Amino acid sequence: MRHARIIFEGRELDIDIDASDRITTTDGQELNVALDSADITWLPPVKEPGTIFALGLNYADHATELAFEPPKEPLVFIKHANTLTGHKQVSYRPDNIEFQHYECELVAVIGKRGKNIKREDAMDYVAGYTVCNDFAIRDYLENYYRPNLRVKSRDSLLPMGPWIVDRDDVADVNNLRLTTEVNGKITQDGSTRDMIFDIPFLVEYLSKIMTLNPGDMIATGTPHGMVDMQPGDTVVCTIEDICSLETRIVSEKEYYGDKY
Amino acid sequence: MTANTLVSSKLVCVALNDKSQLAALEGTFNEAPYKKPPTQPVLYYKPRNTWNVDGAEVEWAKDFDGNDAPAMAVGASLGVVIGQETCRVSQAEALEYVRGYTIVCDFSLPEESYFRPDIKGKCLDTSAPVGPEIVPADTIDNPDALTVTVFVNGERKNVFPLANMQRSVAELISKISWIMTLQPGEVIAVGFAGERVPVAKGDRVEATIEGVGTLTNTLGGA
Repeated sequence: MRHARIIFEGRELDIDIDASDRITTTDGQELNVALDSADITWLPPVKEPGTIFALGLNYADHATELAFEPPKEPLVFIKHANTLTGHKQVSYRPDNIEFQHYECELVAVIGKRGKNIKREDAMDYVAGYTVCNDFAIRDYLENYYRPNLRVKSRDSLLPMGPWIVDRDDVADVNNLRLTTEVNGKITQDGSTRDMIFDIPFLVEYLSKIMTLNPGDMIATGTPHGMVDMQPGDTVVCTIEDICSLETRIVSEKEYYGDKY
Repeated sequence: MTANTLVSSKLVCVALNDKSQLAALEGTFNEAPYKKPPTQPVLYYKPRNTWNVDGAEVEWAKDFDGNDAPAMAVGASLGVVIGQETCRVSQAEALEYVRGYTIVCDFSLPEESYFRPDIKGKCLDTSAPVGPEIVPADTIDNPDALTVTVFVNGERKNVFPLANMQRSVAELISKISWIMTLQPGEVIAVGFAGERVPVAKGDRVEATIEGVGTLTNTLGGA
């Protein structure tokens, strides 16, 4: 089963989507609408988002591309809900920058509270998976708590969804093709098997430091293939058997409107 | 996370905002891995599992083998509580968005490097007490004129006049609001004395700001 949050006919709804793409609200009402309908507004799929953990340099090839040694320990940074937006929504490119890139990532959504979780029990704490696009503004990198909040905590720069796939519906999460297309052309093509620190490792590692709670998320990093994004570009991040996440880039002025 | 935390959705902390600390570290910050001093506020989050309240125990940290950590430290800051949605505001108007003030303590492992986000040192459960209350913004004439004092077991360990901050409260609210839209109830810890105070198991820690209150917590593990 898949789970999402949408706005449809003016109502905010929690929905389940079955294998035949049939949509049912959690109240049991069936919605007569197709998944690709423009009448659906997709919200970020985690209803009460908690702490978002994101991984840097967690694919061997991406670590090489960025001229770093692969890390011996996970590089983890934290994001909050201000960064989240849904499928088919917009993200903005700040004015006067040189390089903004996408990062297609597998996200593990925590479903159960836990601390000091052993690696072999870790998957019991994962409710399911989704896809995010953890955009970065490389111009803003500074060598203090790198990647710093100015790079990674901006409004709208973490599209996620469209849905969460139940954990048990994914046969082998460590062997999924991961691709990104910009304006219809594939620019990133990797596999979750190249992850340096896998989900059980990360759940064990993080839960040795702190309590994990339902609604927390772990964005597991991205493989190589970074290109610059410009307003007007459409970027689609896809992970096999999970979902495809589409985002349109707009200017800072278009995004903030009256507040620009 | 404590159910009655004063924090809503986000606690943003500002590191390296003590002028004397920045001056002392200038040589270090011109070398690798930093290469140059910070040009922007240096920010980190204390996530929700860290949020704690006045009067509560702060857990003593464990290492990865489950043994007690050899050392912990504390810093205290004025906490600025946001009162309304704060998006891209100017420094001149920033204080209009403040609902009130409180105190934030940041218990952590001693910090040796500022290069990478310090998840292991700063995300410890119960390590961010906030309180004892939120005093209304209009009771504080000038937040930058306040002084934060830390006592351990009744002994004064650290005095930090906010006049020694590299960036003022208004400047920080403005700069942060150009990165992220702040929501009502979110808290910014605007600056800590560069010298964090070492603490031991069972210590009673009081952080005081005149007109804001005293935040009291005890370290666990004793």
